[in-house]
Amino acid sequence: MTLRLACVFVPQLALQAVLRREPEARGFAVALFDRAPASPHARVVTATEEARRGGVHAGMTGAQADAACPTLRKVCAAPADVATAQAALCDLGYAFAPRIDSESAPQGRIFFEVGDLDRLYPEGEGAIAQGIQARAARLGLGVRVAIASSKGIARVVTRARELAVVAHGGERAFLAPLPVTVLQDERDASDPSQARPRRVGGAASGNDNGGAGGNGKKRSGATTLPEVGVALQRWGIATVGALAMLPAAEVALRLGPAGARAHRLATGVDDEPFVPRLPADALEEGTELDYPIYEIEPLSFILRGLIDRALARLACRSLACAGITLRLALDPRGLDVREILIAAPTRESSTLLDLVRLDLARRPPDAAVVGATLIALPARVRATQLDFQRPAGPAPDRLAATLARLAALVGPENVGAPRAVDSWREEAIAVTPYPVSSAARAGQAGAAKGALAVRRFRPAQEVEVIMGRDGPTALRGSATTARVLIAAGPYRLHGEWWRPPEEDGDFCRDYWDVHASDGAIYRLHQDQRNGRWFLDGYYD
Amino acid sequence: MLEPELVAQLVTAERLRDRQGCCSTGIGAIDELLDGGWPRGALSELCGRRSSGRTSVLLASLAAALGAGQATALVDVDGTLDPRGAAAAGVALDRLLWVRAGGREALKAADLLIAAGGFGLVALDLGDGAARIPSAAWVRLKHAAERQRTAVVVATPRVTLGAFAASAIDLLARRPLFDGAGPPLLVALRTAVEVRRHRRSHDVAAASTNLIVKADRGPPWEPV
Repeated sequence: MTLRLACVFVPQLALQAVLRREPEARGFAVALFDRAPASPHARVVTATEEARRGGVHAGMTGAQADAACPTLRKVCAAPADVATAQAALCDLGYAFAPRIDSESAPQGRIFFEVGDLDRLYPEGEGAIAQGIQARAARLGLGVRVAIASSKGIARVVTRARELAVVAHGGERAFLAPLPVTVLQDERDASDPSQARPRRVGGAASGNDNGGAGGNGKKRSGATTLPEVGVALQRWGIATVGALAMLPAAEVALRLGPAGARAHRLATGVDDEPFVPRLPADALEEGTELDYPIYEIEPLSFILRGLIDRALARLACRSLACAGITLRLALDPRGLDVREILIAAPTRESSTLLDLVRLDLARRPPDAAVVGATLIALPARVRATQLDFQRPAGPAPDRLAATLARLAALVGPENVGAPRAVDSWREEAIAVTPYPVSSAARAGQAGAAKGALAVRRFRPAQEVEVIMGRDGPTALRGSATTARVLIAAGPYRLHGEWWRPPEEDGDFCRDYWDVHASDGAIYRLHQDQRNGRWFLDGYYD
Repeated sequence: MLEPELVAQLVTAERLRDRQGCCSTGIGAIDELLDGGWPRGALSELCGRRSSGRTSVLLASLAAALGAGQATALVDVDGTLDPRGAAAAGVALDRLLWVRAGGREALKAADLLIAAGGFGLVALDLGDGAARIPSAAWVRLKHAAERQRTAVVVATPRVTLGAFAASAIDLLARRPLFDGAGPPLLVALRTAVEVRRHRRSHDVAAASTNLIVKADRGPPWEPV
């Protein structure tokens, strides 16, 4: 079977990373600077189409850019933005393939196999490429997609076309009309989509990755592709097809390894290996803030963006969020790390945000926040086989979302299945996680027995008790004030002698059941260590 | 000619349909009064003051629903559920969703649970100090219950739902039973059950019965 690879390329990755963080800036003139735009040494690295139409181009200072385009919005990409955009791009690949190749590619480009997607996309590879673009748009990325039989060819095509499918065996014919500049590697030259015209092979003013690359630098001892481009231009070779017509040995002799590689690509030959890898376990989204945030409400706006983006990436992999680790960078230094428990995996953004806000409200950060990183723990939401003999019950994913919402509403410790603790203390109680799947809830059905129940005050309420010859005769407390009509007891409960009294162990209580004049039958006890009376609850 | 014993076991098609649309209370006498139990897709009210047996009836309903394999939830405003007592009443604790929520959060929690769908019975225990709840909240819960065909039982100390309840029963505490021989011991609680509202019948004056709920002692007792 022929290998079919999709290459997904994000032009201007750093700029797109910033626009992904600030989606409201889309459609406006935005210029990306290599450092804080307020700095006098800041230079434009790249700009949106709107800004380029306004006259902004790479290399301008902030003042020059303002003069050219008064409505220009000046931004600077943080490393976290670029990293998360690159991670989102990887997740885009995992939406279509279990393994992708991104390590060997420069930032902003991934490869994955699409040869086995024909059942999902019977319309053909063109539909696959369109599907990839549509999914990328949902992640906030504008991408170029090319499908070809090798990595190198697919990479070259993404430099020339927004969307392209190169048929197996038709690589040479497809590449022939393209300009020879498409053979340049991003590590050697900036993206040709940059609007500012420049000499072929000339020193670039920046690259797609926020100026982080080594553009324009000559590699020691080897001819670079820009130099090949200059030579080819001097020879009058303008298209890839013209380069392919030249004898390979002569090109290699005159232009070195880089020339030979360019010639092989021009003839449709590529031996670059496809090295796919599995996705990372956790998924990270982060941002650095321009100014410190002191209050939870504005911080939640930032966190909502992080959660939305993380969930969109999880959705690419058909996963849900099973837990959140939130790392807040504090001003001027310090880190606030908190784990946020989720009752069951969910994909509901509002639920997760509620949980995060609840946690922040309970334990506010010690200082203003200047950066936030959200690590989402992925988990699979599994479908459940229903039982013919039992009611279907709530759908697992809806129940999971409901449990998470309930936990956000009342606190995770107040939602779950009750459990009687193995203790002599009557008030001891525990809550265990409620099973999400109906299979876990299935079990031997019990029968209603109709035993008399006790409603327990938690904590037990301290009361004043007047004692008579046969027991309590009256009681007074916040829950009731009444005469005692019948008193049954006392019955002593003594336990936990192995723990010292200082640790609230070794308790000794005399219990009474009293029928009070208000009609209720109360259960109360006297602590034999200090003589105080407590109302435990009432029979009901 | 059918045998009289067989005739006694026959039920009419209308009555059978009604019973299928109900969630048993777990107590046969109350099921008889309500023609099968708590109606699905509607709100029901279980009204009783302290020591009237309200919690015991509620736990019996939860036990019956869990026993029938239905997903069941209890929204507990005061957080007064006693797991040992519930287990003694037959409640499968590991399958009961218990939500402790106070005030308006309880209504919101009940609404979330009903809207999730799939729950056979959602019990809302308003505790002792039932605050005034706006009618809009009951309307919302009622519509949600109708959509999801969930039986919603609201346990209150006093009449709260009014006309929003499809079925309502009042529990009136009677004199409790104490064991007179030797040291006194609470044996059982007596209560009268009266149907205040019935989803089908308007003549509910005669619909009442008496219950005795026996105490089930947990730990061994040591008389002093």
